[in-house]
This record gives sequence, structure tokens and C-alpha cells, in this order.
Amino acid sequence: MQKRVSYKIKIFIIIIIIIVILFLSIILGSISINPINIINIILHKIFNIPLKEDITKNTISIIWLLRIPRVCLAFLIGAALSTSGCILQSTLKNPLASSYTLGVSSGAALGASIAMIINFQNQLLGMFTIPIFGLVFAMLTISIVIIFSSQVDKQISGNTIILSGVVFSIFINSLQALLMSFSQDNIKNIIFWQMGSFSFKGFEYILILLPIMIICILFLYSKHMELDILTFGEESALSIGIDQKKMKWVLIFVSAVLTGVSVSFVGIIGFIDLIAPHITRKIFGSSHKLVIVASSLIGGIFMVFADMISRIIIAPEEIPVGIVTSLLGAPFFGYIYFRGNKK
Amino acid sequence: MAALKLENIASGYGGLDIIKNISFSLEYGQNLSILGPSGCGKTTLLKTMVGIINQSRGNIFIDDKNINNIKRFEIAKRISMLSQLSNTYFSFSIFDTVMLGRYIHMKGVFSKPSKIDIDIVENCLKAVHLLDIKDKEINTLSGGQLQRVFLARTFAQEPSIILLDEPTNHLDIGNQISLLDYMHEWASIGNRCIVGVLHDINLSLRLSDKVLLLKDGDILFYGDSLSMDKELFNILYDMNVVKFMNASLREWNTK
Repeated sequence: MQKRVSYKIKIFIIIIIIIVILFLSIILGSISINPINIINIILHKIFNIPLKEDITKNTISIIWLLRIPRVCLAFLIGAALSTSGCILQSTLKNPLASSYTLGVSSGAALGASIAMIINFQNQLLGMFTIPIFGLVFAMLTISIVIIFSSQVDKQISGNTIILSGVVFSIFINSLQALLMSFSQDNIKNIIFWQMGSFSFKGFEYILILLPIMIICILFLYSKHMELDILTFGEESALSIGIDQKKMKWVLIFVSAVLTGVSVSFVGIIGFIDLIAPHITRKIFGSSHKLVIVASSLIGGIFMVFADMISRIIIAPEEIPVGIVTSLLGAPFFGYIYFRGNKK
Repeated sequence: MAALKLENIASGYGGLDIIKNISFSLEYGQNLSILGPSGCGKTTLLKTMVGIINQSRGNIFIDDKNINNIKRFEIAKRISMLSQLSNTYFSFSIFDTVMLGRYIHMKGVFSKPSKIDIDIVENCLKAVHLLDIKDKEINTLSGGQLQRVFLARTFAQEPSIILLDEPTNHLDIGNQISLLDYMHEWASIGNRCIVGVLHDINLSLRLSDKVLLLKDGDILFYGDSLSMDKELFNILYDMNVVKFMNASLREWNTK
């Protein structure tokens, strides 16, 4: 009974932290805005409550068109990446596994680079041309990695998948470097895209991302028991009654969708998918009944925080959020993970 | 009806057969020990029986049903394997770990344990004397305790046949004996079988009423453990094992 209460308190504390950081992140920026005005603007937009007289149109635009979508998008992307990392670590029984090591982000980057280099324009795809190219290439890459792994290892063990992923990532990175060397005009755009950013991305991104995320996370939650079992290894999983090969395929594919969509929308943001699940496990233990939801919340809020730092540290300039996640994440992860190991 | 029947089974890894032509059958209520030197194919045989590796030839029947025609979760309702102790990468509570054994019995999209599942898990934990510490994390347990957790998980799965792959490795003699006692108690209830691979001949004979001696992937002997000529151990291990066992016993008796 005591255990139940304690995890509920932990979730409650995390939700409070989420609310505080979300709010702070809307207030802070190159222009700081009065919190009361922010609440007024939000209530005005949602419930049509009259605006205070001192709120300018400019302020409304900053809050409603720039900061709120940006913060929401950062939260969703952080949640998606973190959930995906959590699933892959368990499925492949490897604490260092992530979609990045499996080649998903390399594939997405190659796709996005090709779209930029050939300057592909399509009326139907519009501003989603680059993300869709990225997503298609990301999914192609992970499919090739899994098919290759199942050819060389009938049981498709975690290590085979990770090694295949690393090999394919290196191969794809080289292809991309080759492309860039032939198209020097686009190098700056490609590098900037790769660094990741939430700037100038409106609600339409959220409307696409949100349903995909809800479906994927609900599906993964329904597989929480299979994920628990897979962490004990392939033989245990088979013995307990899981068709582990099929289950791995499905879980890796759904994780790749989460990462693929995220990376394609905002570029490559590293480290969240590694650290957020580990921090979650330190707080909540390993049972996926809690870890899937909790790691999405922790990943989301970590990303919002990193994005806030990236906006305010040298305001009005911004630094790429991927740099912040790594700079903040590495020491924080080291502290959380190795704390208490010193004997 | 035979609980488990193997017909001319050959199996191995990477196209190379390690076990070559294994046939035997086991009735409910019988326990079988598989003995043989390292590398003779004992673990391969167990893994083939539970479908972890596929046989290259022959047929396996559980309750007279060909294992190739049964779905994975149906196989797991009938047969389960307790492996050698291995590393656990992520930690769970003892209770949650044992609950995983109920996987094949759970219904509903989100696998919520029923009252029956919880009762069964608690009974299994009671059987291996771990109920008092059920909320402890498994990465804080000793090897003996951890193996008892996995045994309880196998019990919770409620298979009719349990395969043991050297489950007593890394355990001290006290823990080895208690693990086998738990097994004995489990098997004493009707319509159950244990197939065990144990290195210790004495422990093996204590567990089983049937013995299968495996040498270089072939059966050297299969039959009742009481009727077995003990001299076969010498052929099995290419040395005078019986003399060594008798000498140790004599020495012990004279102390």
C-alpha cells in the first residue's frame, strides 16, 4: 500500500514541475511577458474572455503564435523521443540502445538533405516536404536494419540489431557527407537542420504529431507486460509465451515511428532518449506500467527546459536546442546514474 | 497420453546438429534427469523441447499435439523452462517479476492482473518462501533468492511440464537442495512433469525417476533411474566416476 502512495506522490510532484516549467517557458524569452497577461491571453483565446487594455497585438502574437506552440511542440517531441528510447532499451535489453544507434536519425537526416539538395517542391506536401522525406528515409533505414538483422541472426538478438544499426548509420552518414560535398550551397541549411530547432513551427505541427503520439504511446502501454518480459532476454520471453521475434519487430517499428516523426519535424536532438528513460527508471523502477507514461512526461519536460535555456541564455540570439540537451544532459545524467556508486 | 514425446529429434545451431537422433516419451507424474558431460547437447535438447530453437528433423509432441502446430502462448501454457541464472539488466520488484509468469493467462488490452492472478502469484511466492519480501527489488537479492524468484515465476505460469537447465549453478549446496525440494513438492501434485539437467549426479537421482544419459548428442541410456546400471556413468564421463563416488562415501562413513 505504501508503494502505491509513494508513486502517486512522485507523479503528482512531476506534474507540478511540468506546470511550473511550462509556464516559465512561456513567460521567459527575448521579451519577458507579465504572467497575468499570459493567462488573460490564453483565456481569451480559449473562452473568449475580454482582453486587458494594455495587451498589444504583438504580445498576443508572441504568446499565441510563437511561444505556446513552441513549448507544446518541445514537450511532445521530448515525450516521443524519450518513450522511443525507453522502448528500445527494454526491447533490445541494452541500456545504451536508442533510435540514433539504430540509424533512424541518420536515415531522417539523409532524407531531409536530399529534399533540400534537389529542392523538391510539392503543392500537396507544402511545408511538410522535408519532414516527410525525413520520415520515409528514417522508416526505410530501420526496416533495412531489421530485415538485415533477421537474415544474419534467426533469433534477431538485441546485439545483432544494435550492431547492424551502427553499421548502417555509419554507411548512411557517409552517403550524406558525400551528398553535402557535392552540394556546398546547402551545407549551412543541412547542418542547421541537423542541430534541431523548435523555432517558427506553429500549431499545425502539433496537430499532426499529437494523434500519432497518442496512438503510439497507447499501443506501447498496452504492451507493457511484453516489454517487462523482454528485458529478461529472448529465451525467457519465449518460455513465458511471447513470440519475441514478432514482438520485437512491432515494438522497434513503433519506436522508430516516434523518433522518425520527431526528427523529421525538428531535426536531430540527441541525448533525451537516452537520459530521460534512465532517470525515470531511477525514480519509478523498471515496470513499464509506470515507465512508459512517466518517461514521456520526464522527456517532455526536460526538452521544454532545454529549449527555454536555448532561448534565454544569449537572448535575443538562440543556440541550437540539441547542444543544450547534451550540455545539460551529460553531467546531469552522470550525476543521477552514478550517484551512490562510489564506495 | 504421453505428456512429452520426442521422435527422432535432431537439432543444433547454424546448420550443425548437436543432438542427433533423440526419441523418448514421458508420462505425467514422471520426472526425468538428463545427464552427460559438458557439450553433449543437454541444453540444446531442452531448448528444442520448449521451442527456443527449432529442430532440424523429427517431431515433438506435447499432450499428443505437435509443437509445430501450436501457437507460442499455447506452448507456454503446457511447458516452460527455468534457465541458468543470468544477469538482469533492469530491476523489478519480486512481486512484479513473478506476475510476468501470468502473462499467458491475462485477458484485456492492458494486461490488468485479476484477483485470481494476484492470489496465484502470492501462493507461488509463499511456496518458495519469498512472500514476506515481495516488494523488494530483484537486483538486491542473492543468487539463491533470485533463482527462487524465477522458479516462482515459472510456477505462476502454471505449465504442466517444467524444464530445468542447471538451475542450481552458482548456488551453494543448501540452496541447491531447497530448490530441488520446492520442485519435488510442485511435481508431487498430479499431471505434472519435470525434466532437469543438473551436473550433480546425486541431486539428479534425488529429483527423478527416469534418467536419460546423453553422450555426443546421442542417447546412451534411457529408462528407470533405479534399474540403471551405475557403471554406465563411467562410460558416460570416460572415467571411473562410480569409484570416485564410492570412495568419497567410504571416506565420509569412516569419519
